[in-house]
Amino acid sequence: MIMNNYRTIQTVIVLLSLSFWGCNDNLTIDPEQYLNTEKVISTSENLNKILNNAYGTARASSSYGGGINLASELIGNGGDLSWNGTYVGPAEFNEKAMLPDNGFVEDIWMNGYSVINQANIVIENLEVYTDPDEKSTKEGEAKFLRGLIYFDLGRLFSKPFNASAPNTQLAVPITLAAVIDPYTLESPARNTLDEVFNRVVTDLTDAYNKLPASNSFYANKYSAAALLARVYLDMGMYDKARDMADEVIRESGASLTGDFAGAFNNDSNSSENLFAWQVTSQDVSINDNNTFWAGRDFGGRSGNPDVSIEDQHLEIYDDPNDQRANFFYQARGMATTKWKSQFGNISFIRLAEMYLIRAESNFRLSTSIGTTPISDINTLRMRSSAATYLIAIDLETILKERKRELAFEGFALFDAKRLGNEVGSIPHNANNLVLPIPQRETDANTNLVQNDGY
Amino acid sequence: MKINILFLFTSILFSSVTMAQEKDISGVVKDGEGIPLLGVNIIIENTQSGTQTDFDGNYSIKAAPGNVLVYSFVGFKPRKITVGQESTINVTMTVDNELDEVIVLGFGKQSKRKVTDNIASISSDEINQIPVASMQGALTGKAAGVQIQQINGKVEGGVKMRIRGISTISSSQEPLYVIDGLPLINDDESVSEAPMNPLISLNPNDIESIQILKDASSAAIYGARGTNGVVLITTKQGKLGKTKISVNTATGWSEATNKVDWLNAEQYVELFTEASANSYGADDLWLTEQGGYFDDMANGLDWRTGEVDTDWQDLALVKGYVQDHGISVSGGNEKTLFYISGGYNNTEGIVRGNTLERYSYRGNIDHRVSDRFRVGLNSSLSKTHVKRLGTDNSFSTPLQAIAQSPLSPPYLSDGIVPNNESTIYYNFLMQQYNGSWNVNIFRAIMNTYAEYEIIPGLRFKSEIGYDNNSQLDEYFAGSLTESASTNGYADATSVQADKYNLNNYFTYNREFIGNYDLEVVAGMSFEESSRKSQYVAGTGYPSDDLQTVDSASEITAGSTTRTKYNFLSYFSRATFSILDKYLLKGSIRYDGSSRFGASNRYGLFPAASVGWIMSEEEFIKASEVVSLLKFRASYGVTGNAGIDNFASLGLFRGAAYNKTSALNPYQLPNKDLKWERTTQFDVGLDFGFFNNKLTGEIDYYIKNTNDLLLNEPLPGTSGWSSITRNVGSLENSGFEFVLNTKNIVQENLSWTSSLNLSTLKNEVTSLPKGDIISGRNLVREGETISSFYVVEYAGVDPDNGDALFYTNTLDANGNRDRTKTSDYSQAERVIAGSPYPTFMAGFTNNISAYNFDFSFTFQGEWGASIYNEGGKFQSGNARYEDNQTLDQMNRWQNPGDITMVPQARMYSTNGQQASTRYLEKSDFVRLRNLSLGYTLPKDITQKFSVDRVRIYFTGVNLLTFTDYSGYDPESTYDNYGNSNIQKGVAFYSAPPAKTYTIGLNIDL
Repeated sequence: MIMNNYRTIQTVIVLLSLSFWGCNDNLTIDPEQYLNTEKVISTSENLNKILNNAYGTARASSSYGGGINLASELIGNGGDLSWNGTYVGPAEFNEKAMLPDNGFVEDIWMNGYSVINQANIVIENLEVYTDPDEKSTKEGEAKFLRGLIYFDLGRLFSKPFNASAPNTQLAVPITLAAVIDPYTLESPARNTLDEVFNRVVTDLTDAYNKLPASNSFYANKYSAAALLARVYLDMGMYDKARDMADEVIRESGASLTGDFAGAFNNDSNSSENLFAWQVTSQDVSINDNNTFWAGRDFGGRSGNPDVSIEDQHLEIYDDPNDQRANFFYQARGMATTKWKSQFGNISFIRLAEMYLIRAESNFRLSTSIGTTPISDINTLRMRSSAATYLIAIDLETILKERKRELAFEGFALFDAKRLGNEVGSIPHNANNLVLPIPQRETDANTNLVQNDGY
Repeated sequence: MKINILFLFTSILFSSVTMAQEKDISGVVKDGEGIPLLGVNIIIENTQSGTQTDFDGNYSIKAAPGNVLVYSFVGFKPRKITVGQESTINVTMTVDNELDEVIVLGFGKQSKRKVTDNIASISSDEINQIPVASMQGALTGKAAGVQIQQINGKVEGGVKMRIRGISTISSSQEPLYVIDGLPLINDDESVSEAPMNPLISLNPNDIESIQILKDASSAAIYGARGTNGVVLITTKQGKLGKTKISVNTATGWSEATNKVDWLNAEQYVELFTEASANSYGADDLWLTEQGGYFDDMANGLDWRTGEVDTDWQDLALVKGYVQDHGISVSGGNEKTLFYISGGYNNTEGIVRGNTLERYSYRGNIDHRVSDRFRVGLNSSLSKTHVKRLGTDNSFSTPLQAIAQSPLSPPYLSDGIVPNNESTIYYNFLMQQYNGSWNVNIFRAIMNTYAEYEIIPGLRFKSEIGYDNNSQLDEYFAGSLTESASTNGYADATSVQADKYNLNNYFTYNREFIGNYDLEVVAGMSFEESSRKSQYVAGTGYPSDDLQTVDSASEITAGSTTRTKYNFLSYFSRATFSILDKYLLKGSIRYDGSSRFGASNRYGLFPAASVGWIMSEEEFIKASEVVSLLKFRASYGVTGNAGIDNFASLGLFRGAAYNKTSALNPYQLPNKDLKWERTTQFDVGLDFGFFNNKLTGEIDYYIKNTNDLLLNEPLPGTSGWSSITRNVGSLENSGFEFVLNTKNIVQENLSWTSSLNLSTLKNEVTSLPKGDIISGRNLVREGETISSFYVVEYAGVDPDNGDALFYTNTLDANGNRDRTKTSDYSQAERVIAGSPYPTFMAGFTNNISAYNFDFSFTFQGEWGASIYNEGGKFQSGNARYEDNQTLDQMNRWQNPGDITMVPQARMYSTNGQQASTRYLEKSDFVRLRNLSLGYTLPKDITQKFSVDRVRIYFTGVNLLTFTDYSGYDPESTYDNYGNSNIQKGVAFYSAPPAKTYTIGLNIDL
């Protein structure tokens, strides 16, 4: 009996010690939370999901979910706004004293290039699409996003564009190749602003040509046209800006909302949205337009709204009945109602901007394509219950109207640079109105030259 | 009593008669605490005759006067007694905790005398009854070359144990923890950025001993996970003899080791009024006017008459409270040993609202089925409940309250509801009033084994271990908190991590004729670790009393995850000793892991060591002075596999945009990813002098790590921020010195001291892609890892109060330009310190006198610095409206003022940029722990049938000597707790606790 027991034990030992020589197979484990790159880029369904993600990345708080808007409004702030928040990054924007380690600047850069790479992945693998319409649409959307990011990165990281001279000032590196393999990594140098803007126009023109007139909440033909109008205006190419804006007004099917409030804080796109970033309560990245601009009870941060509106701003409204003059609420400080809803979509290109572009361009070119400048301006004023102009208007009136209409929507710095306006007493082409190349980037890529003044 | 005297009397009478003849000798053998020992071997020297003690420690033997009786018992020093006239010989045996101490190794044990490795060994005496909730905390200062630091003063906070420096940049820096042969789960399961200590659920009082394997020779048997050292934990087991019941109960209180001086209301008004005047002119009274900003802050109270002066620091750092109770029952006979214990710890932290409560149980059993077959089970269960706080970077963490203005009252006029109406920032009291964050951790660790002797000398052992760590996090923020806009927010996160481990190995032991000893261990190990998590979040609650997601009006987020990794390993070790003098050891381990690319899945980790016990040589053996002299040298290879489970694959992860599905680029592939390899050379000398009254060790090591697993930052233009690659190498080297002395050894008075000193030099030796800079820390070839890299502050311009910086531009000769400039962008960053100490020391003393025992440990670290990332807010000459440290009152005011604090300019930058202004040396010496005990005399306790009663006082961190002006030289930013590069940064980081407890031990 005892001998038997020992024999059993010995058999068990032999079995135990041999059984694991064959468990090498156990070392191959497939991830359950992730898909392999090869699998992802081989089907059009998956590429569509990358493109969808590229919209989400662009909408993240770092970029169009608040970061770029905040940079433009605070750097372009000449006293209309007050920064009450605790974050150092925006405080540096407001003070016009950015440091290369500014986290908001780094986020704008990193997130922007993440969108560009996702767009590049889609564009580089278009051959997997079998439906030519779908292929054309997806290429158009990818180029819309890529063009958009290059446009804003170009404007933020370089000296102002000069319509009448070569723009050899350094902007940002242009990368058009998808990076999914570490062996293709490069350390690119910065391209000039001319090169960057040429790329923007090429991409957006492609997008304009390839996109359908209607495309759910994604970019469509008129989103691209409207963005092109914005780009041409920035480049001082008023005829093209005017024509694009005119086409959008005539053909996009978009219409101004019945009142000013109708254009904002909507859960789904309004009739005047040519393009809007979608926000839901389930998003991973919060809407920083709301976080920094709204009162505490509406999703903003404690205390004052981080960005409060100062009396100086209120002086631009010329009619107390103007809905825009009353589009504010008290939340310890004065807050704009534009970003009141925590989960409302972010209106990004509104039809109202097209009227302003057409009016300004027509005025500058002394033309009346579509209609006269005064008529466009009055269209906007009527919508907001402001008294219409009866006599001839000048450029200053048009630009003031532009400010009334588009305040806090991210135009402040770019308009100052475009129009040659001082910010407070700082000249429009000053070093400190240009973002520094993020320190992280100059550390990781020695081919990048830092901007003057940093 | 009477009988004994009579017996003794007769014995003496008869002794003369029976002289030189064999007679009966009897007696009792007890241990140092008076407990009878069962199974003590007693033999007459140079004969075959002998006996053993019985259950009550009694023995009897026939021996003749002049014979020598040898008493021996495992774990005790053998005693020799020459038989004289007496017939009763009572013997007290003392525990042998010296050179023949048995050291636990990976997969075996060895007598310390024959060990050729560098292993620090810490016994239960040294760690029990130190009232800290974490096992690691009790080890601080006890072992040379081991730095242990809790990130900051939150009770559950992560602990960093650094054994012989930092051997990696991006891979895991944590040692491998092994409990009774089972590698422990040691993953941080914190749902926030601030890490939690994964070992918080272990009860330190269950630990018998801890061995820290420091050199490659000892750690290489753990191959791919040996680089950061291995911590072997052995839990308590019953001892042969009478069943022992021990009760320990302690209770005490705690407070912050340090507080910082902040401005009071009057000083705040003075400084900010001046700062505003400097920025906007003295005529702009926006702060002080009626209805101005100060009135806003004061929320209706009159700051002008001193109606409000809030000390926010006192609201955040409170008096803590500690309770620790434990009971254990242990004992056994020749066949079975057992240990059962239960423990309860309740720690209320010094940071308001932070508590920990732990219930733990352990049951260990070891049973001999036969002479050849042994089985056993070690098991433990624990439940830990932690009330957590936000990270150092959240307004809801208490210590961020120091940023609030002293003009803001903490509560509304009712004195109950926190004031969140007029504070500059979110009031943390609101989070505690209207929110909660509870974490429950359930941990089960089981390890069962069977050992069988196949033939004499050849044993087979099979161990099956299982470790389960389940954690549930429940967070709620009500309608008054930062989640007001969504009418409340709640989430719940559940994690189940488990690991099973199978070890099978043979041990062959043989003594060859002529005093040659051979031991060979060979076997395999398989380990599988998996982790699952579930998360759900919802907003919109009908009432603040309904705090679970069940009541949410909208589910806003949810996720579940699964992941897994495996290790398959084969190992072997041979030790050979010749004539008890020459020692040889070699080991090899072959490790495979699912974490690596298919082409580099396996790694080979060899090690070898030699030892020479010189004191066994004739030329020293005779010496009266030298009792031990042993030379050791070892060389070996270890690895580091502490990377993500799928780090070699190119991956995309599920995401969403507008509630439609999306795929997000997650990771670049790297098929060539392989193990990080560390080769370590160690040379050492163990010594003992004057009959081992003075013993010690001297070691030098040099540790080279190659193929570093590096998260290399990529140019962001690629769309990626980093990739894990095998690039670069680094080196750690240092001296370690241990000296133990027995200063006084007398019957009723003993005093022993133990000193350990260690140096550390860390250098990045190769970094092909150049510098890695992360925040304030730099990794650069030729420098210490994570060196501070900031602009150098040059003080204040006496003429205008501008902050100045040294430009420090390099000229052609490599010299730094020491010109001062007020233009920050003109100043270059320089290396200005390191977050790691270059010299560490620990000094422990144990004194016992009659019934008193007294021990204390001093610990010190030198050479490290801390950068205060919050400095720009806290000590920023009133740039932001945050309250300021008192030293900011020394600001520049008038031309000619000489000060280091620039002119106060509200909302205008003047010296708040990152610079050495906020970098400080953090050298310190600390009275880490102190304990004083009194044991009641036996004759009193025995009246109550109690073996021992001891009353004690213990203190932790009672004294700290440092010039560091921040909260504490050991408290750092918990958001960076899991960062390998961003080190030594403080940001509203709470100091550790200073704890006082009074306790009672009772042994029945």
